[in-house]
Amino acid sequence: MTEDLQNVLELKDVAVHFGGRAGLLRSSGVVVKAVNGVDLEIRKAETVALVGESGCGKSTLSNTIVGLQAPVSGSVKISGEEVVGANRRKLNDIRRKVQMIFQDPALSLDPRSTIGATIGEPLIVRAIARGEALKERVAELLTQVGLRPEHADRYPHQFSGGQRQRVVIARALALEPDLLICDEPVSALDVSVRAQILNLLVALQQRMGVSYLFVSHDLSVVRHICDRVVVMYLGRFVEIADRDTFFANPKHPYTRALMSAVPEADPVAQRSKQRFILQGELPSPANIPSGCAFHTRCPLATEICSKVRPELTPRPDGARVACHHA
Amino acid sequence: MDLSPLLSVEDLTIEIAGADVVDRISFTVAPGRVMGLVGESGCGKSLTSYAMLGLLPPAARRSGGSVRLGGRDLTALSERELRRARGKDISIIFQEPSASLDPLTTVGAQIAAAYRTHHNVPRTEAYAKARQMLADVGIPDPDRRLHQYPFELSGGMCQRIMISIALICSPRVLVADEPTTALDVTIQAQILDLMKKLVAERGTSIVIITHDMGVVADIADDVAVMYAGRITEIAPVQALFEKPRHPYTALLLASVPKLSDAPKADLATIEGRVPTPNEFGAGCRFADRCPLATERCRVEQPPLFDCGGGHRSACWHIDRMDEIGEVAA
Repeated sequence: MTEDLQNVLELKDVAVHFGGRAGLLRSSGVVVKAVNGVDLEIRKAETVALVGESGCGKSTLSNTIVGLQAPVSGSVKISGEEVVGANRRKLNDIRRKVQMIFQDPALSLDPRSTIGATIGEPLIVRAIARGEALKERVAELLTQVGLRPEHADRYPHQFSGGQRQRVVIARALALEPDLLICDEPVSALDVSVRAQILNLLVALQQRMGVSYLFVSHDLSVVRHICDRVVVMYLGRFVEIADRDTFFANPKHPYTRALMSAVPEADPVAQRSKQRFILQGELPSPANIPSGCAFHTRCPLATEICSKVRPELTPRPDGARVACHHA
Repeated sequence: MDLSPLLSVEDLTIEIAGADVVDRISFTVAPGRVMGLVGESGCGKSLTSYAMLGLLPPAARRSGGSVRLGGRDLTALSERELRRARGKDISIIFQEPSASLDPLTTVGAQIAAAYRTHHNVPRTEAYAKARQMLADVGIPDPDRRLHQYPFELSGGMCQRIMISIALICSPRVLVADEPTTALDVTIQAQILDLMKKLVAERGTSIVIITHDMGVVADIADDVAVMYAGRITEIAPVQALFEKPRHPYTALLLASVPKLSDAPKADLATIEGRVPTPNEFGAGCRFADRCPLATERCRVEQPPLFDCGGGHRSACWHIDRMDEIGEVAA
């Protein structure tokens, strides 16, 4: 691999556990294995979707990548630099390269700061720009996300949800990150606005070459915006594949269940499609089933599934799947 | 099948601070049918559902219209009569089940209480009913669950409990306000299937409020699309998706990514934003964002025109709908 194709993100065997130590609060000793042995690379200007249900560990993994959560083991590299074990100064430096946007823009903005101040803050904190230069940079960022420079003097409450999400994106881009983690960035938005934000994210990537880790449960959005898809279940990846392979030929039974569960906006297709409805609910991450964690809900499960955990293995079409039967 | 309307909402108008946030909404639901009310936030779909049960928040006032259930006008009832109707004739479930359940009472007691509100029976009999209901909504091990508290149950389970409370007195109409929005997709699929099963088995009519076109495509027989407090289009579900007759519906459908779209291609968007109630003009409320809009649209409100086959659209330019296809493409 040549130097300019360097991965913006490299995860190696990352595990994040909670609890378990008899600390000050005398925790019960139950270990919640939120993320368990995860490997992932994201290339420059690539969009990778992380798909899974609540409690599968996707938010914990996102937090670990931006350094908000320390892993118990494994390695997290952002543009080649190790996050795990880095000292504060180094970590501060690395964090410039990875930014995050969240689901609800109203909760991500300070209601008492003008959006100009909000967007400019990272530039001031890192002493990148001040005075006129700062103003110009903020105006440039606002224009990039489809707002106007004069919006800088307004407050978040003067904007609609879609516009607020544009402000959040502008702030995340202020430091020109290599990787943007988008945690359900359009789920809280109305349908007509959702399309505007998706178009914006695609355009920004084409212009700036930023990579996205796109956390979402909406498979139609994932199919639209992503190059590669990763499916997570109870702390582990169960399927990784390129978009076309993934949607043309989903292999893991959990992936197939997710796909059949998402209602399509087409009554004929929706009512005639083969349903693959899962029984039961996601088990607690504090008590992960033995063997394949999915075996308790899997229609294909046999005896081996409850005993031996399947590894991610490559398939002829390039997909990697962790299943004994798929 | 009897298709005469069971529920009919006529010219329902709701006012907040002098503005008609719901403006002369009319639709009917036949027994055992599912009506989808779809629209973006602020379109008035939830207020419409609350008004059907006389549950409007204090700031809102029904300033006109009626809600008839089997010939009886619910809006003419006293609070006391309404209490007798709620649960027995018409029930409602909400988006966030854990916020609707009493955290200090076991779920069994909550379901039994709903039953005893309308039936003068001993507690044990009400519990037996509740147990049966839990089994009907697909909760495994109902005997144990009956004695648990809401915090011990997952979101999907809590929504099943809500459905149990809503249906234990066999109402003829269930109003479901975004019943699956807070749930994961695999659980959403289970709840939607459960609702379909209940319609089939009990003949309950459902009015489902949602912003999700996929949910509508899955469960609704008929759909009313709302925009800024008005119904802009109403049609049988297939007709609406196949050939929308209102620019708003067409653009809304075009903005959802589809299988046939090229990856990362530009999605159709609707420029601008929904007007706030004090910006409502005299004409069509979508006019400012509509690619087909003419002067007439801004000054004169279009009525719901009949397009045949139960399909109606409030647009002056239904004959120019082909142009929307070009805009969306």
